[in-house]
Amino acid sequence: MTNEARTEASPKSLEQVLEEVPELQDQETLDGLTDLITKAAPLIQGRRLHNIVDLLAAASDVIEMADDAMVQKLMALYEEGIGGAWGITNALRYASAQAAHDETPPTIWKSLRRLSKDEDARRGLNVAINLAAELGRQSRAANKPMLED
Amino acid sequence: MVQNIIVVGGGVGGTMTANNLVAKLYPEIIRHKVRVTLISNSPWHYYKPAFMYVAFGAFYKNELRRPQASLLRPEIDFVLDEVEGFEFKNSRLRMSSGKIYDYDYLVVSTGCIPSPERIPGLKEAGDHFYQHDPARELYKKISTIEKGRIFIGVTFPQTPNVPHQCGIAPMETTLMLDEFLRQRGVRDQIEIVYTYPTISQLVRNCLFLQRPTGEVLPSIFDSKDIKYRRGFTLASVDSERKVAISEEGQEEDFDILMQTPPIRAVDAVINSGVSEASNDEGWLPTDRESLQLEGFENVFVMGDTVDLPISKAGGSCHNQSPVVCNNIAGLLRFAETPAEYDGKVQAIAQMGMEAGMPLWYDYDKDVVPTPPTKIGGLMRKAFNRGIYWSVARGLV
Repeated sequence: MTNEARTEASPKSLEQVLEEVPELQDQETLDGLTDLITKAAPLIQGRRLHNIVDLLAAASDVIEMADDAMVQKLMALYEEGIGGAWGITNALRYASAQAAHDETPPTIWKSLRRLSKDEDARRGLNVAINLAAELGRQSRAANKPMLED
Repeated sequence: MVQNIIVVGGGVGGTMTANNLVAKLYPEIIRHKVRVTLISNSPWHYYKPAFMYVAFGAFYKNELRRPQASLLRPEIDFVLDEVEGFEFKNSRLRMSSGKIYDYDYLVVSTGCIPSPERIPGLKEAGDHFYQHDPARELYKKISTIEKGRIFIGVTFPQTPNVPHQCGIAPMETTLMLDEFLRQRGVRDQIEIVYTYPTISQLVRNCLFLQRPTGEVLPSIFDSKDIKYRRGFTLASVDSERKVAISEEGQEEDFDILMQTPPIRAVDAVINSGVSEASNDEGWLPTDRESLQLEGFENVFVMGDTVDLPISKAGGSCHNQSPVVCNNIAGLLRFAETPAEYDGKVQAIAQMGMEAGMPLWYDYDKDVVPTPPTKIGGLMRKAFNRGIYWSVARGLV
């Protein structure tokens, strides 16, 4: 410890601090604090404010631990979730609006003809088939009998 | 009869506005009374503010771009083409492909172009972070420099009261540079000099374009041993001697010159003949409240293309887009423009590599600087990595 540190003033009492802080000499500040104390008193008496302090401490710990890599992973999750949901709801809304626009739905023959001629419709069907195949593959992988190690 | 609304520009302003227009005018769109088209000259949408991070090795190209079509609602016709001529009097666009598009309403959101070639020697000897490839070049230099002098400067448009691109960026990158060099362990051998021109929008001899922020900068820079100097307006660069020469008559040597370059509107906007901006910069005369192009009720201007005293940044577009959409809807439905833009811009400034500072201002109120925090930094990172794309989709 340096000499400078040794000659530091002795700690102030709470009473001194209360008398010296300019904000606490303001009546509106004191009125606001009185309201807050009135609200918090039952929580303090019942030891329930402890939970709030613990919650703040946990939140603060998460902030301390958060780093660039964690933010990137969390936001990738956010973006994949939101982007995926947005794409699907867009497709549903658009397809539904198109279908509603036709006064009478096309016959099955017309629908089949469209499926045969419309490249995007065929691609969509292919996506659906690929999705079914992938679901099947995952189901097989998750449920196949496993050997004991 | 179908009303054609065309949005020109695939940046964040144009993209969010096309999406917001579909949401706003959905009843008319599903009845085929309105058609929304977005025209862009690129199949990619770039998150432009991330170029700044590229200069510090923190972003790869594929992390800061998406296919433009993937960010648009399916009701929007996406046209990959470039506008060659704006014929505002005829409500017509001439395209470089030779096609012609007629419109009933037009939104011009074509951004601005960094133009270092407008200052002699700057393109050859200077660096900047406002585009991907120059930012990569800057990264190569600042990640290998061992000792010397990094000189930072800012060029404003010559059009009165118009800011440069993203007003806070030079300050952000100065603080990021300081921290980056400290992390590399070479900061003690490198002098950083931050300069600001004599005239910056409405203020004179300041360190930032808004006085309250400019006044807190000296203490921040002093605490990090960053030198600062007012009144340095870059006039030319002697690339052989590595000297920056100012309009005020000073000469400053450098090892790296990190200069916010001159900017201008895109060629088609400049050539439209409507701009009254100085120095052939091309900013369109824009009504500060309705955001209509002066003299053309059916044309709206937003983002970097305006001649308003408001930041050329995505945070401006975010607040201009609802005004443009409401006014187009108002004109379509009741022949009136009910919405007014108040000049609001919001952002989270990157203050060093980790800390951030949320900020907001408008036509009447300047930014009130607050202490940078880690939470602010995490908010900015979250925006960079995910929330931005929701903004472009018009979801946030």
